[in-house]
Amino acid sequence: MADAMAPPARQMGAIAWLRKHFFNTWYDAIFSIIFAVLIFWGLQALIGWAFVNAIWRVENKNQCTHDAGACWAVIESRGRLILFGLYPYEEQWRSTLACFAVIITIALSCLPRFWSIRRLPLLWVVGFGAFVLLMRGGFAGLPLVTSEKWGGLSLTIFIFSGVFVIGMPLAVVFALARRSSLPVIAKSTGFFIDIVRSLPLLTILFAAAVIVPLLVPEWLQGSKLMRVVVAFAVFFAAYQAEIIRAGLQSTPDGQAEAASALGMPYWSLVVDILLPQAFRNTLPSTINQAVITFKETSIVTIIGFFEVMASGNAAIGTGEWGNQYIEVYVFLALIYFVFVFGLSRYGAWLEKRMRLGHA
Amino acid sequence: MHKPAISIISLEKHYGDFHALKNVNLEVPDGQTLVICGPSGSGKSTLIRCMNGLESYTSGDIDVLGMAVGDNTQVLDQVRKRVGMVFQNFNLFPHLTNLENCVLPQIRSLGRDRGAATEEAQEQLKKMQVNIHAAKFPDQLSGGQQQRVALARALCLKPEIMLFDEPTSALDPEMISEVLDVMQDLARADMTIVCVTHEMGFARAVADRVILMAAGEIVEEGTPVQMFNNPLHDITREFMKVVN
Ligand SMILES: Nc1ncnc2c1ncn2[C@@H]1O[C@H](COP(=O)(O)OP(=O)(O)O)[C@@H](O)[C@H]1O
Ligand SMILES: [Mg+2]
Repeated sequence: MADAMAPPARQMGAIAWLRKHFFNTWYDAIFSIIFAVLIFWGLQALIGWAFVNAIWRVENKNQCTHDAGACWAVIESRGRLILFGLYPYEEQWRSTLACFAVIITIALSCLPRFWSIRRLPLLWVVGFGAFVLLMRGGFAGLPLVTSEKWGGLSLTIFIFSGVFVIGMPLAVVFALARRSSLPVIAKSTGFFIDIVRSLPLLTILFAAAVIVPLLVPEWLQGSKLMRVVVAFAVFFAAYQAEIIRAGLQSTPDGQAEAASALGMPYWSLVVDILLPQAFRNTLPSTINQAVITFKETSIVTIIGFFEVMASGNAAIGTGEWGNQYIEVYVFLALIYFVFVFGLSRYGAWLEKRMRLGHA
Repeated sequence: MHKPAISIISLEKHYGDFHALKNVNLEVPDGQTLVICGPSGSGKSTLIRCMNGLESYTSGDIDVLGMAVGDNTQVLDQVRKRVGMVFQNFNLFPHLTNLENCVLPQIRSLGRDRGAATEEAQEQLKKMQVNIHAAKFPDQLSGGQQQRVALARALCLKPEIMLFDEPTSALDPEMISEVLDVMQDLARADMTIVCVTHEMGFARAVADRVILMAAGEIVEEGTPVQMFNNPLHDITREFMKVVN
């Protein structure tokens, strides 16, 4: 009896599995072998370079001979420059704390339990406030560090989250305005979005950094960093607005009709019914947009901000560690990878969760 | 004299060049059940959607519970709080649990606090016999169950009038009766009901009056018995043959 009820064997056996997936036909076999050799060869070279033959510590930099393997000593020596940019050495603990404040804020706002119209803004005001206060100082005995001196990873994270936090509500407003029943509003918003999307990001940031101060009275200018973040946010919003609009359009008319028939006010229809569904339906594109934005933050280098990429360049640019540029770029790539990969995994998790019906 | 719950005078509706409603006159007394039937495209949905302002109209007068249904959005808000509607496709909010589907509208349109709203929602879901599904999401339910959640959602606002637009047309045959049963209970409990349906069993059981529409006009109206047994018009006779 018990035998008859046993499920069929699920394990195919390693050989059978290999056969089925890699050696099904003669050309499968050829490609499998070629790629296996390539992968093996690449991995072996990488591991040899990064670990086996690597030099981890040196007494002085001349001991870094470039041929055998990586010389990770450069990271130890220049890591602080990469992470903190020009931020004053003795105050770098503040930058670290500020960084953690924003990372924790980002992590918390990824949790569905914080997704309410009251909690999310509160969380961001606290998290951002902590970041700015810590970075800037100028109170309670903390020396003042103006935003021109902010740099490295904390600047990258600040710009990214600033763009996201300002850009997302802006995108919602743009998307709603473009769908407005008043043609004047719909048309002019559409026109504005198309203009912004047809300009290179660099041009927009340059205008914000250099041209705005010539046109706008001083009290309205804010700091250069502020202007750049806002301009970047507008750029982000123009793209994200189109994603949200697509999401709104994919929500059936019946949803709005049901809400109206139940006497729910317009704002509630938008906030409680349409937007959550629009975000749900467009989650993959939204995550994609976030990833692109994170990587694009490196563009602010050009207008004189030492975000993590520029700091990395500066770390090797002095000549002293000029031979170790590969190590530095690998380190930078790892930093980007951690964030971007984290974002994509989070997106995948959310999607799965929403397919199950939650949130 | 009792004022009618709904009174419609000389209603005209155009979609561009298309004349969708032609001189419709209609009164629904308080507590009555009115069934609207007629071939597809005859303007039944348009008419019923005019009653709570989901559809605008070209000319005429619509008075619901003493309020003039028109362009005034404040009046419309008041009307919709007192007039419930159930749709062919349920139109539940898919991102909210069935319970939350019933709770949120109470909070947003009546300003009830969450505690009271939840209590009311539980009670209505129980009456519709879907309370065990409260924590699930709409797409985890069968069509018949979804429609009963939709009905519970509308009833949570304690409406004085219920509008139904083909509430069972999207259902598998074996689920139709579970929805009709709860609607019949409502009708017997003296709710004012306007229902677009082809379920003549329902009309026979609880309708006080049946009207037949064709090409945007009310062709004939009468008690269910009259309409089924002695129709005056050929169109009605034809139609009754098809649906019975
Ligand atoms: N939004 C609209 N625009 C143009 N024509 C419409 C629209 N809605 C309905 N109609 C037309 O009005 C007529 C009546 O529609 P409807 O009231 O939905 O009919 P029923 O519910 O009786 O099947 C149909 O011919 C339909 O094509
Ligand atoms: Mg219809």
